[in-house]
Amino acid sequence: MGRDQLWSYILRRLLWIPFILLTVSLVTFALGRFGPGDPVRVLAGQRADLETIQRIRQERGLDDNFFVQYARYLRGIFRGDLGISFKYYGLPVTEVVLPRLWVTFQYNLAALVLIFALGIPAGIWAATQQGTWRDPLIMGTLLALAALPAVLVVPLLQYIFSLRLGWLPTGGWEVREFFGWLEVGLFSKTIVLPMLALGLPGAAGVARLTRAQTLEVLEEDYVRTARAKGLRERVVLMRHVLRNALLPLATLMGFAMAALLSGSIILETLLGIPGIGSYAFEAVFARDYDGIMAIVLIAATAFVVANLVVDIAYAFIDPRVRLEGKPQS
Amino acid sequence: MTPPQEGMLPAPGAWGRLLRRRLAVASLMVIVVIYGAGILAPWLAPHSFREIDLANTFAGPSLEHPLGTDRLGRDVLSRLMWSAQTTVIISASSLLLGGLLWGTGLGLLAGYLGGRVDNIIMRLGDILASLPDILLLLIITATVRPRVTDFFRDVERWTGLEGIVESGAPDYILVFAALSLFGWVGMARIVRSQVLALRESEYVLAARALGASSLHIILRHLLPNVSHLMVVAATQLLGTAAGAEVVLSFLGIGIQPPHPSFGSMIFEAAGPRNMLAHPHLIFAPAAVVGALLMAFSFLGDALNDALSPRRR
Amino acid sequence: MNQERRLTFVLLAAAALAVLVAAGVITVLIDRGEGGGPSSQQQPLPERVAGELRLFGPDPITLDPALAADVGSATYIVEIFSGLVTFDKDLNIVPDIAERWEVSADGRTYTFRLRRGVLFHDGSRMVTAQDFKYSMERALNPRTGSTVALTYLGDIVGARDFARGRAQEVTGIKVIDDFTLQITIDAPKSYFLAKLTYPTAYVVKREQVEGNPRGWTRQPIGTGPFKLREWRLGERIVLEPNPDYYLEPKPSLSRVTFLLAGGSPLTMYENGEVDVAPVGINDIERVRDPRDPLNREMKQVAELATYYIGFNVRRPPFNDPRVRRALAMAIDKDALARVVLRDLAVPAKGILPPGIPGHNPNLQGLPFDPQEARRLLMEAGGPQILQDVTLLVSGVGGTPGPVIEAIQAMWEQHLGVRPRIQQVEFATFLQQVDRGQFDMMTLGWIADYLDPEDFLDILFHSQSLDNRTGYTNPEVDRLLEQARTMPTDTEEARQARLRIYQQAEQIIVQDSPWIPLLHPRSAYVVKPHVQGYFVPPLVMEHLRYVRLER
Repeated sequence: MGRDQLWSYILRRLLWIPFILLTVSLVTFALGRFGPGDPVRVLAGQRADLETIQRIRQERGLDDNFFVQYARYLRGIFRGDLGISFKYYGLPVTEVVLPRLWVTFQYNLAALVLIFALGIPAGIWAATQQGTWRDPLIMGTLLALAALPAVLVVPLLQYIFSLRLGWLPTGGWEVREFFGWLEVGLFSKTIVLPMLALGLPGAAGVARLTRAQTLEVLEEDYVRTARAKGLRERVVLMRHVLRNALLPLATLMGFAMAALLSGSIILETLLGIPGIGSYAFEAVFARDYDGIMAIVLIAATAFVVANLVVDIAYAFIDPRVRLEGKPQS
Repeated sequence: MTPPQEGMLPAPGAWGRLLRRRLAVASLMVIVVIYGAGILAPWLAPHSFREIDLANTFAGPSLEHPLGTDRLGRDVLSRLMWSAQTTVIISASSLLLGGLLWGTGLGLLAGYLGGRVDNIIMRLGDILASLPDILLLLIITATVRPRVTDFFRDVERWTGLEGIVESGAPDYILVFAALSLFGWVGMARIVRSQVLALRESEYVLAARALGASSLHIILRHLLPNVSHLMVVAATQLLGTAAGAEVVLSFLGIGIQPPHPSFGSMIFEAAGPRNMLAHPHLIFAPAAVVGALLMAFSFLGDALNDALSPRRR
Repeated sequence: MNQERRLTFVLLAAAALAVLVAAGVITVLIDRGEGGGPSSQQQPLPERVAGELRLFGPDPITLDPALAADVGSATYIVEIFSGLVTFDKDLNIVPDIAERWEVSADGRTYTFRLRRGVLFHDGSRMVTAQDFKYSMERALNPRTGSTVALTYLGDIVGARDFARGRAQEVTGIKVIDDFTLQITIDAPKSYFLAKLTYPTAYVVKREQVEGNPRGWTRQPIGTGPFKLREWRLGERIVLEPNPDYYLEPKPSLSRVTFLLAGGSPLTMYENGEVDVAPVGINDIERVRDPRDPLNREMKQVAELATYYIGFNVRRPPFNDPRVRRALAMAIDKDALARVVLRDLAVPAKGILPPGIPGHNPNLQGLPFDPQEARRLLMEAGGPQILQDVTLLVSGVGGTPGPVIEAIQAMWEQHLGVRPRIQQVEFATFLQQVDRGQFDMMTLGWIADYLDPEDFLDILFHSQSLDNRTGYTNPEVDRLLEQARTMPTDTEEARQARLRIYQQAEQIIVQDSPWIPLLHPRSAYVVKPHVQGYFVPPLVMEHLRYVRLER
C-alpha cells in the first residue's frame, strides 16, 4: 500500500484520540461532580461540622460552576498537574498514582510474558496433536481456563499454592531495590500469584488462536511447496504460523494492555497489592475526584494508544488489509 | 475467544455435528441443569434462602442439608439454587436488552446503511470500549443507584404495585442496564462485518433492484443470515454476563441481601483465613459458577465449529 | 524479506525478555536457597534488622496532625508528633510537652508550663509556646482544610471567629513567655483537657510547614518518640526511634515497620514474617483453645465503641417509641455476640461501652423478649406499618455482613417484618444520613476521649450537630447541659457528674432512638520475644513501651 495512504490513516487515527479522551474525561468528571457524596464530607467522617465542610469546599473550588471546574482541571493537565488527592489528603495525584502504576505494570508485564511464552508453544503443540486424544483434552483445559474470571481463579490459586502447599505468600508485594531508588517486584515471590491469575487464562486464549492459525498454515500451499523443497518441517511451521498469527496476537496484546485496569481492581483487592487497581477502588469511595480522573485518563489513553499501534502494525505488516475495516473480498 | 468465522449460511447437518461432540452435549446439560435449578428454585429448593438457624452454623453435609450450612445456619444448597436464579435473570436480561436488541440492531444498521451512521455507531462503540468498565460501573452504581431505587419507590406508589423494590428488581435492572451498556459492542461488530459481506450479494442486489425498502431487506434477507452468528455470540454473551454478574455482586454492585448470588456467596467465603477454616463454603459456589462459565465457553466453541462451513 | 526480518526481530525481543525474567526468577530461588551470600546485595525490602518490630498497620490518609480525622492517620501521628498532654498506659491524662499546668478558679483558663529542651526531630531547636500557638491556629485556619479542628479546639475563646475568617488570631491562646502557654475556653468544660490529647492540638515545625506546604508530610519533622524513616503510599511506613525523646520510657526498638498492604496477617505471623497479627472470626475459636500453640500468645482488648442501629425519629412510624422498642426487643443480641461473632463482641445494653467512665453495669436495658415485642408492635399498628422500611448500611462488598443479615432474619422471624437492606458506600451513606433520608441506619461510634460527653451529649443532645436521629428530649437536654460544666476537682464531684450522665443514659435507652447492639472486642497474637506490646483501646502512642528480647 502506498506510503501516503498509511500516513493519512495514522493521522486520522491520531486526531481521533484527543476527542475520545476529552469525552471520557468529561463523562467521568460529570459523574463525579453530579453524583451524591462529597469528598470533604467523607474526610470528616462521622463528626461533621457542616459549616467547616462548606468552607473547605469553597476553598478547594468544589462549589464553583461545573464548567469552571472542568476548565480548571484541563488547564492543570496541560501543565502536568494532575490535581490534589482526597484519598491521601493534600498530596499531589502524580505522587500517588505513579508508584502504583509501576506496580501494576510490573505484574501485567510478567503475565504478558507468560501468556506468550506459554501460549504460543502450547498452541503449536496442540495443533500437531490434532487427531489424537490429546488435542481435545488440551483444548478443553484451555477453554476452561480462559472462561474463569479472576474472582474465581485467585481464591483457587491462593488456596492451593499459599494455604495448602505454602509455596507462595497469600498476597502483598515484596520488592528489591536497585540503584538505591528503583523498587522492583518482578523478582519476588509475590509476583507469582497475580502473574498466574492473569496469565493462565490469557495463555489459554493465545494458545487457541495459535492452534487455529497453525492448523490453517499446515494446509497452505506454500507450506507444502516448502516441504517439498526439503526445508525442515519445524522451521517451516514456525515461520509461517507465527507470521500469520502475528496479527491476531498483536491485537490480543493491544487489548490485554488496555485491559490493565479492569482486571487489576479485583486482583489487587483480593491479593492486597498496592497497585493502580486497588487505588481506583479506594478512590471511588473516597470521592478522590482528581485521582479517579487520572486513573480513567491513563486507562483510556493506554487503550486508545494500544489499539492505534495494533491497527497501524496490522496495516504495515499485511498490506492486503484495507484500512476501512471491510473484510477482504 | 476465536471469533466466529465469516462466511455463508450454516452448513447442513450442523446439529448433527454439534450433538456428536460429547463435550458440547455435556456443557449443554450443565447449563440446562443450572438454569433449570435457578428458574425452578422457588419450588425445588429444600429450604428458605433467608431463614437463619444460629444453633446449626457451619454444619457439614447431612441429609437435612446436603451441602451443609453457612455462617448463619442457612442451607447452602438452597442458596446456590437461588443464586442460579439471580444469574438467570441477569444474564437473560442483559442478553435480550443488550446483546440482542441493541447489539444486533445497531450492527445491522451500521453495516447496511454504512457511511455516517456506520461511523457514528462504531465510534460510539470505540468510546464505550475505551472506558475502563469496572471502574465506571463502580462509579455509576455509587452515584446512580440511590436515584434508581427512589425512582422505583415512586413507581410503587403510583401504580400501587408493592414489593417491586423489595424483590430487588431495581438492582437487577441497574446491573443489566450497566452490563448492556458495555455489552452491545461485541455483537454489533460481528453483525456489522457479516452484513458488510452480504450487502453486495446477489439476492440483496436483486431485492433492491425490485424496489424493496431497506427495512424489508434488513429484516428479510440480512437478519436470517446473521442468525447463526448471533447464536454463537449470544452464548458468549450469556457467559460473559454470568461472569460479570459474579464480579459485580462480589463488589457489592447488584442484588441486595438476603437474595443470594454466586458473587456474594463467594465474597462471604473468600479470604485466606476464611477459606482455610471453611473451604466448602467457597468451593460450592465457585464450582457451580465455574462449571457454568466453562460450559458456556465449550458450548460457544462447539457451536462455532458446528455452524461454520469449515470443519475443524 | 522485510516482513520476515521484522518478524524475527519481534520474536527475538520477546525471547530476550522471557529469558531476562526467567533469569531473575532463577536468581531469586538460588539466592534464597543459599541464604544470601556475596551475590545478595539486594535484599527483599523491607529488610529485617535487629530490634525491629514488624506488623500490619492501617493505610493513613495523611500524616499532618491538623488534618487527621481518622484512626488510621492518628495511629502514626501519635508516634511521630506530640502535644501538651498524653495518655499513660492506664489511660490517665499525663504531662507530655507540658510539664505541668494550672487551672484557674473559674475553670476556664489553663496555664501550661512547657518542658525545656524538647527538640524537633532535626535537632534544630527547642519547642516553644509560640510553636503551639502557631500549630493550633494553623489547624483552625480555613486554608489548611482541617475538617475536625473545631471539634477539638472549638471550645477555645476566639476559635470559631478565627475559623470563620473573622479574626486575625485566636485570642484564647496566649503566649505568656517562651515556655508558658495560656489557653482560655468558653466555659468550664472538664473534658477539654482530654481533647488536647488528640492530634489536632499537636505541635508542628513552622519553618518546615511554610517552606514546603504541599510535601512536608512525606518527611515530617515532629517531636514524638519516633521519626518517620519512610512512607511508601499504600505499601509501608517505617519508623525509627527519636534519640532526643524526653519522656520515660524512651523507645527501645531500633525500627518499626508497618505493612500497609499484603496477604493474610495471621498467615504471615505463623510464618514469622510479622510479630503481631489480629485474630479474626475464622481463627478465634481455634486460638482460644488452650491446646493451640497460639493460645499463649493471644491477648484481647475491649474496644471503646458501640455498634448500633439508629432510627430516624422524625419519620413515622419511628416517631412512635413502641415501634422502636419492639424492633429492639426482637433482636437476640446475645446470640449475635456469642454465635455470629464468636464472642468477639459483648452485647450492648446501653450507649456507653465498658471502660468509659460512667458506664453503668446496672443499667436497665431493653431485653430480648419477642412476645413483648410483638405485643408492642400490634399495639402500635401491626407489622403493616413497617412494610416499606429500609435499613441503610454503609459498606462495599458482596454482603452487609452476618450481623445485619442475622438481624434481618430475626425481625422476620419474631415480628413478621421484612425491612429492606440498602447497602451504599460511605460517601452516599453520609449524605443520606445528613439529609435525614433514611428510616433506620446502622453504624458504630468510637470514643475519641474518655468522657461520657463524647457519647451522650454529642449524639443525643437535641441541638448537637452530630445528632443524626433527630432525637429530642428536654429532660435529657437539661441533664446533659448540667453535666457539661459540673466541677471535677474532687472524686466526689466527678462521681456526681457521672451519675447525671447515667440518668440521662437511662432515659435515652428507654426512649430507644438507638438500638445499641454490640461493643466489639478484638483479639491479637504477639510473638513471645516482643515484650510490652499492647493494643490501646484509644489511639495513643504506645510503641515506646515495647522491648524485644532475643
